[in-house]
Amino acid sequence: MDKGLCVNPVWPCAMTGACSVLAGISGLDVLIHGSSGCYYYPRSLLKVPLFCTYLLESEIVFGTTGRLKEVVDGLSSADRPVAVLNTCIPALTGEDLSGALENKNAVLVDAPGFLGNAEEGAKTAYDCLGIKTDPSRNGVNIDGVSLLDLFWRGNLHEAERLLRLMDIPVGVRLAKDRYADLRKGAALHTVSVNPSYPSGVGTMLGSFLFTDVKDTCANLAETFPDADIEPVLEEWRRADEQMFYSSDKYLRKYEPPVAAVCAQESYALFAKTMLERYFGAEVPVVLARNRDASHIPCETDLTKIVREISAAGPDLILGSTFEANAYPAASFLGITPPDRSRVSIAARPIAGIEGGIMFLENVLNTLIDAASHTKK
Amino acid sequence: MGGCTLTGALSVACFIPGAVTVVHAPKGCAHQTFSMLHALMNEAETRIVPEILVSGLSDKDVIFGGEDCLRQALDRAAEKKPELIIVVTSCVPETIGDDCLAVCREHPYAERTLYIPTSGFLGGSAKDGENAALIGLSALAEPADPVPGTVGIIGEKNLESEVEENFAEVQRLLDLLGLTVSVRFCRNAAVSDLRKLGTVSCFILRDGRCADAGRELSRRFSRPVVSGFPRGLSGSVSFLQETGKACGLSAEKIESAVLQETKYQKKMLERFANLAGSRVCLGAEPFEGTLTAAREALACLDMTESPNGINVRLPFYLPVGVSGTVKMLYLWRRAILHG
Repeated sequence: MDKGLCVNPVWPCAMTGACSVLAGISGLDVLIHGSSGCYYYPRSLLKVPLFCTYLLESEIVFGTTGRLKEVVDGLSSADRPVAVLNTCIPALTGEDLSGALENKNAVLVDAPGFLGNAEEGAKTAYDCLGIKTDPSRNGVNIDGVSLLDLFWRGNLHEAERLLRLMDIPVGVRLAKDRYADLRKGAALHTVSVNPSYPSGVGTMLGSFLFTDVKDTCANLAETFPDADIEPVLEEWRRADEQMFYSSDKYLRKYEPPVAAVCAQESYALFAKTMLERYFGAEVPVVLARNRDASHIPCETDLTKIVREISAAGPDLILGSTFEANAYPAASFLGITPPDRSRVSIAARPIAGIEGGIMFLENVLNTLIDAASHTKK
Repeated sequence: MGGCTLTGALSVACFIPGAVTVVHAPKGCAHQTFSMLHALMNEAETRIVPEILVSGLSDKDVIFGGEDCLRQALDRAAEKKPELIIVVTSCVPETIGDDCLAVCREHPYAERTLYIPTSGFLGGSAKDGENAALIGLSALAEPADPVPGTVGIIGEKNLESEVEENFAEVQRLLDLLGLTVSVRFCRNAAVSDLRKLGTVSCFILRDGRCADAGRELSRRFSRPVVSGFPRGLSGSVSFLQETGKACGLSAEKIESAVLQETKYQKKMLERFANLAGSRVCLGAEPFEGTLTAAREALACLDMTESPNGINVRLPFYLPVGVSGTVKMLYLWRRAILHG
């Protein structure tokens, strides 16, 4: 019973996660079937147009389907399909929303907040969209693109670049593509830029996080015999060498960092591996946002996260500004939302070769800035 | 749209040091508000974020009932031995029929527990949540004799990024009248400070958004209420007059304050003298009252309004006093001089 009890929860609900998937798809209107409160947060977080039925108490008492039909009909005049995203209260009252949407160009996504976390909601949204693979679609799908991710634009650009280098066409982008294209069908195979947001579409060939790139390229070469993976591998080797050079230089002056990593399990594992590979760093705290993974427990209670960080006394935190603010003694690099430490407008990757380099460069600069600040 | 009652109530309840706020809801509901508080605290360069303890209703709890979750949350909150536990609720426990009041009353910490039945959107909007919290928390204070020269600020928008700047502007004006703010209800005021609410000479509301709370406080403590922070330039003068009168100051004292304020405004507007003669288009009014404040500034600076003029955006907030007006004028100056 105590499992749900939580202080300052650091991760969004299933409805928000589902919304992040649907809102990334162009040519699809997203309608939140709920109150203004449920609308307000994803709207301010994702910064994309969303619609809402703005349910009132009276509608909960007398039924919400009339209001839902009214708003869907209004939106349908724009001749675009509507994704209806259900929220906690209409889900609890158990109305037949599917029936209300019969004969309408709409898809119902039942992802109330109490269902779980953002990733579970995202997966529910993908399942409801029912994206099928089509053997005639050439190329590889790019998966793991979520508007909730600090790096989604940079990751997408980098994945497209890497596939282009290998002469492999891009199938569909999940979830940053046109709805009409998604309906036509996805390619049979998929690579991911953030495996914590799996769509389940296509056969997964691996991730483009720097530490996984070589294995993923090998899988791509096996699946696409005409692909030329050598330019990417060559680039990877050069990047690896550059990163060792820069970290070696750092280690001539400074001791390896002691780091705490708090992020989705995919990025957390990536960050830990990178820190260990290039710095020989100690990483005594690794906590996942979304689910328990091998050697990475999940924790979303900020007081418990901070307790673990404080006990370890790291000099570097890779996570969100939730952790950074709670433990200001360590220097900080944002790898999971929210990152309020900086103005961030550019498309920065964390995936791919450029993502790997950028990650290491940022870690180095963060550590050097902190050391320089301490000296002053 | 500014969220449901939960966000509104938490935006008040979370700013009471020494109190613990318990949210009876799924985790995601509390995360929304916590995340917003975090963002605003960062903007304000304040790293201290209030603790919100959430009962964390799951899909199983919504089927079998969530009262045990609330009990456990209260147990956890009571372990901290806070001066006050504030309990607010989302729409989920309301819908599944949890008797939250009974759980709070039966809890061993009941005497220091204040239940505010917000019920998420089923209780209304964020504004309703703010008013419910302000009214609920006012029960902490007993009616008392007024202390002359003191005022209480009611319903500051804790989620507003310029909340401290707005307060500073009001305080500047109150200084001209020789008045002191003894309670900021509820902005970083300890429970012991909130209990002093009954001692102030008058209440100054942030704006009409907390009018419901203002009416209730006025009735309960028999004090005059100033309806809002000053809007724009002339609003600052009328604020001085209204507040001075409400606090029973002499006509001479009020007139002296107005005179000082008029001189100050003239001096502040001098830095925008190079805008004289500009023709601007103000566009749509994002908040009621903004247009009036903007037109008044135009007139003071010998500027004119024209549909073909340079587009200057009205701010997405109501300019509070001279300080708010000056910030708006900086945006105009940028648009006029630099496109």
